[in-house]
Parts: sequence; structure tokens; C-alpha cells
Amino acid sequence: MTAVIEVKGLVKDYRTRFLLRPTRAVHDISFTVEAGQVFGLIGPNGAGKTTTIRVLMGLIRATAGEVRLFGQRAPSRKSRARIGFLPESPYFYDYLTAAELCDLAGRLCGVDRATRRKRTEELLDLVGLDRARNTRLKKYSKGMLQRAGIAQALIHDPDLVVLDEPMSGLDPIGRKEVRDIIGSLGERGKTVFFSSHILSDVETICDHVTIVAAGRVRGAGAIHELVDTTTRGYDVSLALPDDFSDESIARLEAAAAGSRRIEGELRLRLDPEGDVDALLALANELDARVRAVEPRHETLEDLFLEATRAGREESEKLEEARP
Amino acid sequence: MIGRLWAIALNTFREASRNRVLYGIAVVAFLMMMMAIVLGEMSLHEEARVARDVGISGVSLFGALTAIVLGVTLLYGEIQQRTIHSIVSKPLHRFEFVLGKYLGMAMMLTVMVAIFTLSMAILFQAQEVSFTSALIKAVVLAYVEVLVVAAVAVFFSSFSSPYLSGIFTLGVFVLGRSTEAMREAMSGKLSGPLSAGLHSGLAIVPDLHLFSISGSQVNGHLVTVHSDFVSWGYVAMASGYGALYIGAMLLLAIIIFSRRDFV
Repeated sequence: MTAVIEVKGLVKDYRTRFLLRPTRAVHDISFTVEAGQVFGLIGPNGAGKTTTIRVLMGLIRATAGEVRLFGQRAPSRKSRARIGFLPESPYFYDYLTAAELCDLAGRLCGVDRATRRKRTEELLDLVGLDRARNTRLKKYSKGMLQRAGIAQALIHDPDLVVLDEPMSGLDPIGRKEVRDIIGSLGERGKTVFFSSHILSDVETICDHVTIVAAGRVRGAGAIHELVDTTTRGYDVSLALPDDFSDESIARLEAAAAGSRRIEGELRLRLDPEGDVDALLALANELDARVRAVEPRHETLEDLFLEATRAGREESEKLEEARP
Repeated sequence: MIGRLWAIALNTFREASRNRVLYGIAVVAFLMMMMAIVLGEMSLHEEARVARDVGISGVSLFGALTAIVLGVTLLYGEIQQRTIHSIVSKPLHRFEFVLGKYLGMAMMLTVMVAIFTLSMAILFQAQEVSFTSALIKAVVLAYVEVLVVAAVAVFFSSFSSPYLSGIFTLGVFVLGRSTEAMREAMSGKLSGPLSAGLHSGLAIVPDLHLFSISGSQVNGHLVTVHSDFVSWGYVAMASGYGALYIGAMLLLAIIIFSRRDFV
């Protein structure tokens, strides 16, 4: 496979005031994105995702480390010609319409007039802005702006699409639409690299992820490789009859490691070594109806929370060690 | 490259044309030109002289004001509003962006100077003053001066806020207009490092006096828009100086802009 993005030992310091000591936003980030992957860079706010993307796009310079795009050292104008970019919380010229924005983006990418027109029509249709194509961007909602941003990023039919928090601030319908667009790009063989902290979206559309926290990589790889599939216990959900006694509930709770009652339902949590069969037999004996038995595995959310915790602890240690 | 430059320039022109401050400046400039009719009536049969002085001063000063307003806001505004993120991430060089912005500003300044000149023409029509070649040369010089001031504003705007850039550019404009007077004031009165320092400072500041030459001596002759004015050769020489200064300012702005982080 061909590496589309290669980041090695990326470090970025920001100097907020001239004489103040610089703040390190990215300590040491390395990852590789292969052609055709839908790759997610995930992490909590302040993890260094946007900084990494800005270095990739040539908006800021790396303090140390190496970034290569299509084999060329970034920032590179030539490689940017093959990339479509949606910035975080995109700000566009609000006096333009979506069609004019696409036209401007196309001109800057060297797309000829006829192709610009054709692609603008297609893309505004794809992102669902065909009816609002002649409305000025200042009248757009956040979701519409996000979609206009995706359209302008795709105007030159790029090989790599870089999206910084594309789902941020969108309602569920907007998120689904953006997810579908990213999915369709992946199906068309495009490489998609995006940052997000909305894990359900990442799990749905990504094949590979890199987890960052406090400016460092905390995990990387294919999602199925990262997530430990070993059973970590079971969740049992029971429907309770109206006349179910407190004593019976107490017996069931005693057989589990944890429990929660929700209007006529009892949810029991078993450890990996817990006896599911015995619990189900007891439920049957007490006339409680079994609604569901689900094995519990590690999730991306668990990894994310673990990474965030590790990052926070490390930051606190560094803060304490500071003279 | 031309296509990208043109795209940035057109967009900048479009953005500038939506700046309401410019409409305010155009209205005030027109009213000031019309005030010259009243001032002319108050003078003792010097209506034509007043019209020419007020007209040329109006074109020059309001042009410079427009250049400062556009120069300090258009470039910085892109950074502050983060519209620059979706532009410089496209396959264009940063120098193309700076040049395109300046080109768009120059287009808007051309329109504004044309409006001020039209207001002046209306004033001349009212006062029955003919539009002589001397006046055309004075307008051309004022136009070049406006372009120089815009380049200075773009340079300051490449590293400072609009407020500071405005103050710096205004300072350069006032100093640039006073270079001749300052040289005269300093001659023979100062010596040593202080004199050398002040002369070096004056060498850095654009010599804007070249562009508002009416009423001064050129090669020992008094030149004025009311009678004998400078030759077209002088206008070409001053324009050449202006072009070089604009080039230097934009080069510095490009160097600074190319090294900037856009966070």
C-alpha cells in the first residue's frame, strides 16, 4: 500500500507572548495513513488534533519532526493540489453563495470553468445544498456551512480529503448526512483523514484510528485490532412482573456484581467469572422474563477514556515538575 | 499563477466593495468638494484657485484614508476571521495571496480615486474651471501616492493588528509628506550620529512629497497646478519611485506573511 500521509515525531510549540516560555501543544505524534483508508484522528479537546491537521495543511510550521504528503515533504503546494480540506468550524466569506464559494475554491485549485460549473452542481446536490445554492453563506446554519465546506473541499476531485471535526456542532440528521458523505468517499476509493471526538461516528465509518491525548499518541491501528475482544463480563436485562417482590429482587441482585432498576426492568452486571447460567435459572424460577443477555467487550470509548486519563495524569505530573 | 492571483484579487475587490466605511468616505469627499464652492464664494475672485486646491487635496487625502482603511483591514481580517484557513490550504503560494489581496485593493482604490476625481470634475464644472493637463498629472501623482500608502498598510498589517497598523501607516504618511520640510529643518542644525540617524530614518520613509509637489521648487523652478506644473517625465520618475517602494513593501510583507502560523 502507498502511504498518503506520513507523520514522524511531530512536535509543535506555540509562543503566546514574545518573552513567555513556549507551550508544547504536540509532543511526539507519529502515524501513517495508507491510500484508500478512512482514518480517524481521535482525542479529547486540546489533544493536538487540530494542530496536527494545520501542520499537514501548511497553516502552521512544525517545531520538529517530519510530515510527508504523497511522499513530499509538507508544506508542499504540489501535494495540496491533491488534497481537499475542511477546516474546524469553517469560516467562509459570508457574502458569497455556496456556488460562488465552490467556484472560488475551483479557481484556486486550477479547475477549468466548465468543470467548475459541472462539479459545483454535482457537489451541491451531493451535500444537499442544491436549493440553497444561491443563498448567501451568512444566512446558512452551522450544518449548512459545514456541508458547503465539504463541497468546496471536493471541487477538484482530490485523492485525499482532510476534515477537521466535520461532525462538530451538527444535529443527528446533519451528522448522519456528513457520515454518509464520508462513507461514499471511502467507497469511491478516496483516502479520508478526519479528526473527531464523536466516537460513535468514528466507529461507524473508520477502518483505522490514532488516539491522541495531551499531544501524544496513545493508541493506533485498525479498530478491530485496537479493541480487546475478550469478554469482560455480561449485561443481563430482566423484565419484572408487577407483583415481583423486593425479596426476589434482592436475591437476583445478590447473584450479580452490580444492578440498576428502571421501571419494571432490572439490569444486572456480571463479572467475567460470573455464572450466567445460574443467574438465568434463578430468574426463571422467580418468574422474571429475560429480555437480553449481552457479553461486554472493550469499546473505543473505553480506549478513549483511558487515553484521556493517561494524558491528564501526564500533564499534571509535568505541571508539578515545572519550576 | 495568474488565474489564482486574479481569483484572490476579484474576491478582495468584492469584499472591499461591501465595506460601508468606504461609502462614508466617498460621501464626505463629495461634500468637501462641494464645500469648495462656498469657500470660493468667500474668497476674493479666487474661485478657480480654491477649486483646484481643494479638489486635488481631496483626491489625495481621501485616497490615502481609503488606502489605510483597506490596507489595514483586508489582510488582517482574513487571519482574524479565519477565512484564510480555507484559502492558504489550497495549492497556492502565500506570495500569491498577498499579491492578490494587494491587487484587489488597488482595483478598489482605482474606483475610489475615480469617484473622487469625478466629484472634483463636478466641482470644476460648477466653478467653470477647465481640467488642464497639470490637474491630470496631479491626479496621477495622487493615485500613485495612494497605492504606495496601501502597500505600507499591507506591510504593517502582515504582522500587527488593524489599530496599530492604522497608526503606523498614518505616521508614515505624515512623515512621508514632511520629508522635504524635515530635511530643510535639519540641514546645518544637526551633526554627528543624530543627524545620520535621522537622515537614515528619512531614507526609509517613502518620500510622499514627490507626489504632492504643487507649490514646491523642482530644479529651481516653482511648480504649481495653477500655472506651471511638472512634466510627464517627472510624473513617470515619481511613479517609478512609487512602484519600487510598493515592490519593497510587498516583498517585506510576503516574507513576514510566509513565515506566519495561522492558528
